[in-house]
Amino acid sequence: MSIPEVNRFDMQDVLNAIKLGLIIVDTDGKILLWNDWIAKHSGIEEADAFNQQLENVFSEPISPTFLTAIKNTLTYGLPVILSTALHRAPLPLYDTSETNQAQTRMHQSITMMPIRSQLNEPCCLIQVTDSSTSIKREKMLRFHSDILKKQATTDSLTGICNRRFFDEHYKMALADAKRQKHLLSIFMVDIDFFKQYNDHYGHLKGDEIIKLVANTLKSQLSRGTDIVARYGGEEFVVVMPYLPQKIAEQFAEKLRNAIFNLAIPHIKSDASHQLSISVGFCTGIPDIDDDMLKKADEALYLAKQQGRNQCVSIPPYETLPELSIDVFMNKL
Amino acid sequence: MNNLSTLHIDALTEVFNVGAGRAALSLSEIVGDEVRISVPSVQIIKSDEINSVVLSLNSGRFGAVSQHFSGPFNAEAMLLFTEEQALKIVRDMMGSQMSIEELAEFENEAMCELGNIILNACLSAMADILNISLESSLPNYTVASADEILQRIREDSNQPYVLVLHIDLAIEKRHTAGNLVFLLSSASLINLVTHINRFLGTIS
Repeated sequence: MSIPEVNRFDMQDVLNAIKLGLIIVDTDGKILLWNDWIAKHSGIEEADAFNQQLENVFSEPISPTFLTAIKNTLTYGLPVILSTALHRAPLPLYDTSETNQAQTRMHQSITMMPIRSQLNEPCCLIQVTDSSTSIKREKMLRFHSDILKKQATTDSLTGICNRRFFDEHYKMALADAKRQKHLLSIFMVDIDFFKQYNDHYGHLKGDEIIKLVANTLKSQLSRGTDIVARYGGEEFVVVMPYLPQKIAEQFAEKLRNAIFNLAIPHIKSDASHQLSISVGFCTGIPDIDDDMLKKADEALYLAKQQGRNQCVSIPPYETLPELSIDVFMNKL
Repeated sequence: MNNLSTLHIDALTEVFNVGAGRAALSLSEIVGDEVRISVPSVQIIKSDEINSVVLSLNSGRFGAVSQHFSGPFNAEAMLLFTEEQALKIVRDMMGSQMSIEELAEFENEAMCELGNIILNACLSAMADILNISLESSLPNYTVASADEILQRIREDSNQPYVLVLHIDLAIEKRHTAGNLVFLLSSASLINLVTHINRFLGTIS
């Protein structure tokens, strides 16, 4: 004869095996159930808690909201939730696996349900879950997501911002400058005769040069508002707000000098026999239709046309045919 | 539907304002600052006539805390705030002492609690004033679009009536408006009216 499913297990065993705190109190606040989980995390044995007033059983105070919630559950027979976020730790419960003495209370999520005893007494069932694990899990997920976010916006070879990051940043920086009518400077940078460098010195050396140029450009930036990104193979782009024309011109020169002064031999360069860059830039307050990146790119094209290892600027509102006269040029 | 006179509506408005007062008191205890809640209007409409204007649902996503309750009348109660407002309320309530305030899972749980406090306060006020006892499920928090919410209300052919409470909630300096919606069956509406009549009888 089979045992009916309901009686197959001693309910006390189940309640004590469960990984959840269970307390039942009656309308007088007297403890009628105190499972092992609660005993373990409160350090109070069932024998010492049973039939005692819940308010008096702990050596530390219980939060008043917790006691009000029990009262409400008992009075109206409506379930109550006490969330971790709003209450953190209403009961003095601790994680017993922690060895240090200065323990902090375990984060708790609490649910109170009206329940009737077999004698039809209205009681309150209090369920306590340890939300520390959820907090740890959420923090872990957030940590991983931060890493992935960083990876998604970083250029793997150089460690500076990648094209994806630049595209987003440029869109916002340009929109900002247009809206607030403030100065913005876009610098396009290209390593001179990089293909020839690669062919002559090999790809590994070529990669090293890209890294070196990226880091040298980055070291020229000191403000939190400025970014340098790898735009393409040997092309970089620098975005800087609030630079007056004169300072932008000086900064372009500073970038060019920083690379040139590395004095890396480049015997296949027609510009000079050492590593150099060309810089095209666009600086000013952009008008509604201005595409400063395009202008900086046109300026870079001019800088290359005119012999490389130099800086050329185009204002945001000018078009290519008119600029041959006004070009800001700095030949060696 | 037509059984509800202005007198009934006034009585319900009074009941729910008592509930709102209780909810405000509970919330003040948690926030440690004054919380004011009022129910400026109560409406009853057929669920197939409900639209986004009645619930002042504009575009965007809404946070809905729902509880099923039963007793002399059964209903699904649903508290609606825009998701953005819901998050702001919860963040205000959490204050700056929580390092976990940005963690989504806890915001959901806190929203559940906020809904639970308001719903329970309204239910307990009803229980006290109409002298009835009600049982309720645990609250459930979902995020949905206005269309999804309206569809959920209209589709429920067992509950053709909707009791709509407009709720104003002010926590510290933030002012928020939401709606509390009760979905009722015809039988439940009749029972509700019977209980209101009994209540009106006792006070007249």
